[in-house]
Amino acid sequence: MFKDPSYYIQGVLDFNRLMLARTITLIESQLSTHQDIAREVISELLPHTGKAVRLGITGVPGAGKSTFIESFGTMLTGLGYRVAVLAIDPSSTRSGGSILGDKTRMERLAVNDMAFIRPSPSGGSLGGVARKTRETMLICEAAGFDVIIVETVGVGQSETTVASMVDFFLVLQISGAGDELQGIKKGVLEVADAIVVNKADGDNITRAKLAKKQYETALHLVTPSSPNWTPPVMTCSALEEKGLSEVWDTITQHKKIMTATGELEEKRRDQSMSWMWFLVKEGLETWFYNHEEIQKVLPTIKERVETGNMAPTRAADELVSILGKELLF
Amino acid sequence: MATQEQWLELATKQMKGKSPDILTWKSPEGIDVKCLYTEDDIQGLETKVQYPGLAPYTRGPMATMYAGRPWTIRQYAGFSTAKESNAFYRRNLAAGQKGLSVAFDLATHRGYDSDNPRVAGDIGKAGVAIDSIEDMKILFDGIPLDKMSVSMTMNGAVIPILGMWIAAAEESGVQQEQLTGTIQNDILKEYLTRNTYIYPPEPSMRIVSDIMAFCSQNMPKYNTISISGYHIMEAGADSVLQTAFTLADGVEYVRAAIASGMSVDTFAPRLSFFFGIGMNFFMDIAMLRAARFLWHRLMQQFNPSNPKSSMLRTHCQTSGWSLTEQDPYNNIIRTTMEAMSAALGGTQSLHTNSYDEAVCLPTDFSARIARNTQIIIQEESHVCKVADPLGGSYYIEYLTNQIVEKAQAIIDEIEEIGGMAKAIESGMPKMRIEESAARRQARIDQGSDVIVGVNKYRLEDEKLDFDILEVPDSVRLEQIDRLKEIRSTRDEAQTQACLEAVTKAAEGNGNLLEVAIAAAKARATVGEISDAMEKVFGRYVATTQCVSGAYSSEYSEASSESAGIIESFRKRTGEFLEKTGRRPRILVTKMGQDGHDRGIKVVASSFADLGFDVDISPMFQTPDEAAKMAIENDVHIVGASSLAAGHKTLVPELIAKLKEQGAGEIGVVAGGVIPPSDYDFLFNAGCKAVFGPGTPITTSAGKVMDLLEAQYLK
Repeated sequence: MFKDPSYYIQGVLDFNRLMLARTITLIESQLSTHQDIAREVISELLPHTGKAVRLGITGVPGAGKSTFIESFGTMLTGLGYRVAVLAIDPSSTRSGGSILGDKTRMERLAVNDMAFIRPSPSGGSLGGVARKTRETMLICEAAGFDVIIVETVGVGQSETTVASMVDFFLVLQISGAGDELQGIKKGVLEVADAIVVNKADGDNITRAKLAKKQYETALHLVTPSSPNWTPPVMTCSALEEKGLSEVWDTITQHKKIMTATGELEEKRRDQSMSWMWFLVKEGLETWFYNHEEIQKVLPTIKERVETGNMAPTRAADELVSILGKELLF
Repeated sequence: MATQEQWLELATKQMKGKSPDILTWKSPEGIDVKCLYTEDDIQGLETKVQYPGLAPYTRGPMATMYAGRPWTIRQYAGFSTAKESNAFYRRNLAAGQKGLSVAFDLATHRGYDSDNPRVAGDIGKAGVAIDSIEDMKILFDGIPLDKMSVSMTMNGAVIPILGMWIAAAEESGVQQEQLTGTIQNDILKEYLTRNTYIYPPEPSMRIVSDIMAFCSQNMPKYNTISISGYHIMEAGADSVLQTAFTLADGVEYVRAAIASGMSVDTFAPRLSFFFGIGMNFFMDIAMLRAARFLWHRLMQQFNPSNPKSSMLRTHCQTSGWSLTEQDPYNNIIRTTMEAMSAALGGTQSLHTNSYDEAVCLPTDFSARIARNTQIIIQEESHVCKVADPLGGSYYIEYLTNQIVEKAQAIIDEIEEIGGMAKAIESGMPKMRIEESAARRQARIDQGSDVIVGVNKYRLEDEKLDFDILEVPDSVRLEQIDRLKEIRSTRDEAQTQACLEAVTKAAEGNGNLLEVAIAAAKARATVGEISDAMEKVFGRYVATTQCVSGAYSSEYSEASSESAGIIESFRKRTGEFLEKTGRRPRILVTKMGQDGHDRGIKVVASSFADLGFDVDISPMFQTPDEAAKMAIENDVHIVGASSLAAGHKTLVPELIAKLKEQGAGEIGVVAGGVIPPSDYDFLFNAGCKAVFGPGTPITTSAGKVMDLLEAQYLK
């Protein structure tokens, strides 16, 4: 690791693959010394961001996310766009380790010089992923990528987190035995900018069309997040590379409308604001947990609450006032 | 007469008061093996029959078995150029071998010509390089194809290779109907384990049917498929899994053939099987008996009228996985045990591995020992005098029945998913095999499965003292020259027309083998014929799944000591995270065309269990591609697996590519089938560590941690 942030800044701006990769490592690092450098790198690079299409993709395991990104990304590079893919893989809660296998399903894109794929272990805390992914996305933008794809597994709250950092949020679905809607969360429908039913191929086409109808009906019951955009439901086959250019047309159409109405700018402003608040919360939490006196009293207070000898409200009061004391002096 | 009570009393006494029940061994298949079997255990078992040669064939497919004619000694071999392999075959035939079995190199398997830059590390390495009919003619020069039965292990590029073999035979004056032998042509298991496929499953299944259809009409004595459990076992499956998945594959082929319009009796008698025999001596004897019984039962749903349609005939091979690099002459003994197991199980033909195969290609000397292992059993031991000599053994009959029951349950599960093709799509068989493999690795690593010379009675200072066969790069250059020559001397217009006919047939309903024979005669190459089909079919991309938790759970369960080892690893990786800001991150990659990915899967899964972040690369990478991935993912270290002799080209090139791009501090370690004599070569090229076959995961993970700690925690 270099101490001087300018190595990273210059490397990213030069589109140096190695330095880009290392900057991401720096952002992902849990060491505070690394994070200090990372913060400087990000603020220097921020003026170079904002031009890319930020695309979030989610879907249940088996929806064919990786295959979709492989075909979709390859199509985009064919159109002359540089594509960065950020994939988040869950870490094991027992060992802490993870298996990052995304690229095995993105064989062509992985070796494509116009593409950059970076799988990252979730490492436990979702909040941590959110911060790192957002910052990594900006770094890739500064490096000059035209499309940034953030892929997330549709579990927990990760979809809404990713939706809150992208311009366009695409929900990938597959048709099943007619009970598709049970598998989709209402919260996901609310943030979706399009639903794409994948695997519309072979003897699955009829079912895919049926699923499309069902999602359309379901979407009618949800208030769209934007007055200027009604999320469409589409079908595609990533395997046979069908329906992909239609998906891209929808995304560019969305961008055009959102830019014209000023909504895109507004959305990104809101996202910056919620990012700031997120960082504030994260900072407070870190401060709290690293505070010497808190660390000292926390075990006893925890135990007293657990055994019912102290009211949780009283405990919280006492802990927070420890931080307050420091501010008074 | 003595009673069970008397025995129990005596046994308890000899056990110093403990019940003999504590001696029960839980086999990897999940069978509780007691210390004694009696008549009570085999009362009324439907698998127990009286006569071999008659349905349901538990005791063997022939009435007199080896008493009438012993099994065929069929040694699988091939390396380097067609000329060298041909000479090797002729020497072996002169020394008592009865049938030929051709091993092709990985470039050929995957449908690439030798001049394709993707396959530079694979030419002539794990088999013979064949690019055209000219190579094929040299390969069989002086070998009468109207008399010699030839087995060919080919699945991916099966259309051009079989086409070239038939065309070469015809050009030497042999008629199609005279040809005998077997083509492996078992594509389903390629998606499960070996990964030497080219096209997606659907067109691949059509190729299988096309071959069955062509041969049933034109080559009646030829076995059109060899449904293979061998690779499933080598990938880590236990004997029940091997039986279940192999037979389920078989059922799928039968369905495909019937769906393409054939009647069951026209092709089913030409189906043959291929089982792997490991070190579980009695289990695998029982496995062959169980497989025959079960195949007969499974075939009844298709109402065959020819008894041969439901008779399982099989080739067997001793296990390559059971061979060790350490104290390698022990492998001769292992192979002998496994050969006995195959013989007592009633195989129709057998390949015995050479003792040096854990480290390199067999030499003339090691091949002779392997062959003589079989000859001695056949001609000296009197084993062949009686059919199914273990029939009626309480233990064997009990095991046979257990395997039938357990395999049937898995087959039922597969049927519920909708057959083997659907099951493979769902990932179920692959996950089961990988879980079984990870558990076995854990048992070996903590010593509950003993391997002499590896995890017990290990030699302190071992020196490898035998000759090693190496395939030089000149083989590749020779092939490239021959390709140039053939392309410049053939009638190009005719070749192109023939290739177009192949593409047309792929689009429509023409028989692919038929047009490929014509293309082979027009001097089209393996790569060209494969490409002509790829235009229509596309190339298949595998999805890699990986189990997690299996290694650590099996390892930890063994003892509190081994649970402690796992914990201390997790602590170590955790400390690395604390000090450097992230977990140790390793990329495991397979470069070249070798598709045997059990090794890297086990490594990936168990390293993650120990607290590493593990990146897995796609299959069939070039060093350049692997370097790109290592850089983008910014890993600390790359683990390159090599099982097909490509390490001397591929590993140094990877190190060079990393350095070239400024990422020289990303270390490279190598593992797999690498002869110790190559270690220094690899170290000099910059490789940080080499892990031979049988290295416990805890050893390799420990060494990797040592390297990383030295580099990053200074």
